[in-house]
Amino acid sequence: MSHAAVLAADVVSSGEAGAFWVLGPIALAGAIGMVLSRNAIHSALWLVLTMLSLGGFYFVQQAPFLGAVQIIVYTGAIMILFLFVLMLVGRDYSDSIVETLRGQRVAAILLGIGFAGLVGGLIADATSGVESVGLAESNADGGNVAAIARLLFTDYLLAFELTSALLITAAVGAMILAHIEHESGSRPGQKEQSIARIKGPRPQTLTGPGVFARGNSVAAPALLPDGSVAEDSRATGMKMRQPPAIASGSIDDLDDVTVDSGANRDGVPT
Amino acid sequence: MPDLSAPSISYLGLAPVLIVLGAACIGVLVEAFVPRHLRWNAQVSLALLGTVGALAAVILVAGRNELTAARAVAVDGAALFIEGTIAALGALSILMFAERALDPAKSAFVASAALPVGSSADRKLATAPYSQTEVFPLASFAIGGMMLFAASNNLLVMFVALEVLSLPLYLICGMARRRRLLSQESAVKYFLLGSFASAFFLYGLALIYGYSGTVDLGEIREVAARSGASDALFVTGLALLIVGLLFKAGIAPFHAWTPDVYQGAPTAVTALMASCTKVAAFGAILRLLYVGFGTSEWTWRPLIYTIAIVSMVVGAILGITQTDVKRMLAYSSIAHAGFLLVGVIALGDAATAGRGLSSTLFYLLTYGLTTVGGFAVVTLVRDGDGEATHLSKWAGLASRSPLTAAVMTLFLLGLAGLPLTSGFTGKFAVFRAAIDDGAWPLVVVALLASAIAAFFYLRLVVLMYFSAPAEDGPTVGVPGLPTTIVLAVTAAATVILGLAPGAVLDLAEQAAVLVG
Repeated sequence: MSHAAVLAADVVSSGEAGAFWVLGPIALAGAIGMVLSRNAIHSALWLVLTMLSLGGFYFVQQAPFLGAVQIIVYTGAIMILFLFVLMLVGRDYSDSIVETLRGQRVAAILLGIGFAGLVGGLIADATSGVESVGLAESNADGGNVAAIARLLFTDYLLAFELTSALLITAAVGAMILAHIEHESGSRPGQKEQSIARIKGPRPQTLTGPGVFARGNSVAAPALLPDGSVAEDSRATGMKMRQPPAIASGSIDDLDDVTVDSGANRDGVPT
Repeated sequence: MPDLSAPSISYLGLAPVLIVLGAACIGVLVEAFVPRHLRWNAQVSLALLGTVGALAAVILVAGRNELTAARAVAVDGAALFIEGTIAALGALSILMFAERALDPAKSAFVASAALPVGSSADRKLATAPYSQTEVFPLASFAIGGMMLFAASNNLLVMFVALEVLSLPLYLICGMARRRRLLSQESAVKYFLLGSFASAFFLYGLALIYGYSGTVDLGEIREVAARSGASDALFVTGLALLIVGLLFKAGIAPFHAWTPDVYQGAPTAVTALMASCTKVAAFGAILRLLYVGFGTSEWTWRPLIYTIAIVSMVVGAILGITQTDVKRMLAYSSIAHAGFLLVGVIALGDAATAGRGLSSTLFYLLTYGLTTVGGFAVVTLVRDGDGEATHLSKWAGLASRSPLTAAVMTLFLLGLAGLPLTSGFTGKFAVFRAAIDDGAWPLVVVALLASAIAAFFYLRLVVLMYFSAPAEDGPTVGVPGLPTTIVLAVTAAATVILGLAPGAVLDLAEQAAVLVG
């Protein structure tokens, strides 16, 4: 950080104020969008917007380390994990519209707005006209990063060490909730499966799906030279499409094939 | 850049916490490297070693008064008394975890928590003779977090300790072997509401930091004394901190999670939550209010006063309507949290300084022991589906098993606060401290609430003794050694602390020291 910036730290410059009025509405819009989006992916992306704006705030307030961490860890790592999970769970989960408690939503919205108004008003009242102090001295000695490091390893050493207990618990918990321990021998391993395949009637890989001018979905079976369907190209767990009738070859037949129900077009498992 | 000097850490003062957390870490390694058939015994002995070792360490360091690790942790009478109480109650809960004789599948915990409920693999494992032994290190982590929670002199350490104690509890709530869906539902409810409460605590922490520029409780008190405590940031921050703590202690109106979670969680885990978590949360409430906000009493006194009344009344009245023993004990814990707040109120006056604190500490000990005992009896009464917790199933229990009914009656009388039980001594101490402090209207409400609550405790006693036993009633299991020890210790404590509480009251009196 430049020396001039440190000296001017206690004064809110017009640039800082400008950045605030640009980033503030964006952060707020992201937060509101996150709550109102029906689609979970959209919610996550709105939240990314809010977090990026928060990172911007930290930079503007001369906390470059915090700003970088906010963007790298929260936006970069945690939100992407969120997206992974959403993609794995399925992206078309919509809200339940059944209210188990009557009037719950309305009450929650009213109380939420009331609480936000109360706390926001009190904070606005308490902080109006307050001069910012202490930024220059806390950034003085080696800058922001060094100051955080010093606090982390002196005053907050115990809190820092204690988070290790939290991380161990989280790791063990994830294992408990996700890991299924199989009895050894209860299902064939990779080695047994290979041996069985080589010994079996069909050591080579199965035939792939058909590739046609108007579709290369896994749901399209491959055709043998005589135009009949190669049975071993059928994928399991999936409704296969009609093979294009190339042998009898009319354009109408091809249309019948490709314009089947939309749900099956991408080989959605049935 | 200047040299860093690491803060001095009194390892002796921190020993109780370090022993439990160390045992938990070793437990995780045991889980990874020890073969399955040896794990159960290894984990049980390790977890017991940790909690009993912590209790021994507390006795060893008793009498110290200091702040350590850069003022982050207080080692004083109150902290050590609460750490000792948590270690003892934690050891009893671990013994309940370790019970092998009651469930035909040899454990109350699920064999594989990751399997979907009702899947064929899950059904196949329903009677498997092994279970997820991770519950032991997780319980140790929770107990270690609780001990630190009550001893932290720094809001940030308090918050991290709150998470360290909560996260393992969220997990082990969902690991019941029977009625898994109910158990998982309770875990999700506890997790969502608990995270919400943590967020309140964190928000309050931020506002208090904004007000005072520090997270150290002693320094917050100095800033508040210097600048007066009418600042909006201060009041809002304090209110939000209190909300977070009241949630953890299960105090109305932040009690909504308690009945569902207590009912759904495995009963051994419920015993851990009802006793140790409550003790830890009250330890933190006492420290926060008296060390951090002792000079600004009039900002929180009216609030705590009102909440004490609400909690007592809600717990006592809703307790009457319950038809499930575990839910009834959950509402009983809400009412008892209200009684404990009466003791918190009583600490205020300088003339009676210490008496409110010592009586609250004593009450926490008596309540914790009696509650663990009560839940231990609940694990004994079983039918084909596991524990028979519906009240109708308990009808005529005395004719089936006079001893079980007698022990349960003792615990219920203790919870009701009848004379010659520990509950009476505890209530008497707390109420006397409150009257000395001038809070007699609160004591009047507390006595009325006790009378209402006594109704539902005694109703269960009447049901056990004077009703005809149900045709297809439950059987009373023969407990193995661990549950027998729990029942013996808690029953003996309920009687002894009722008949001759002098020595322990003196101990609590001596322990009533808060530094910071």
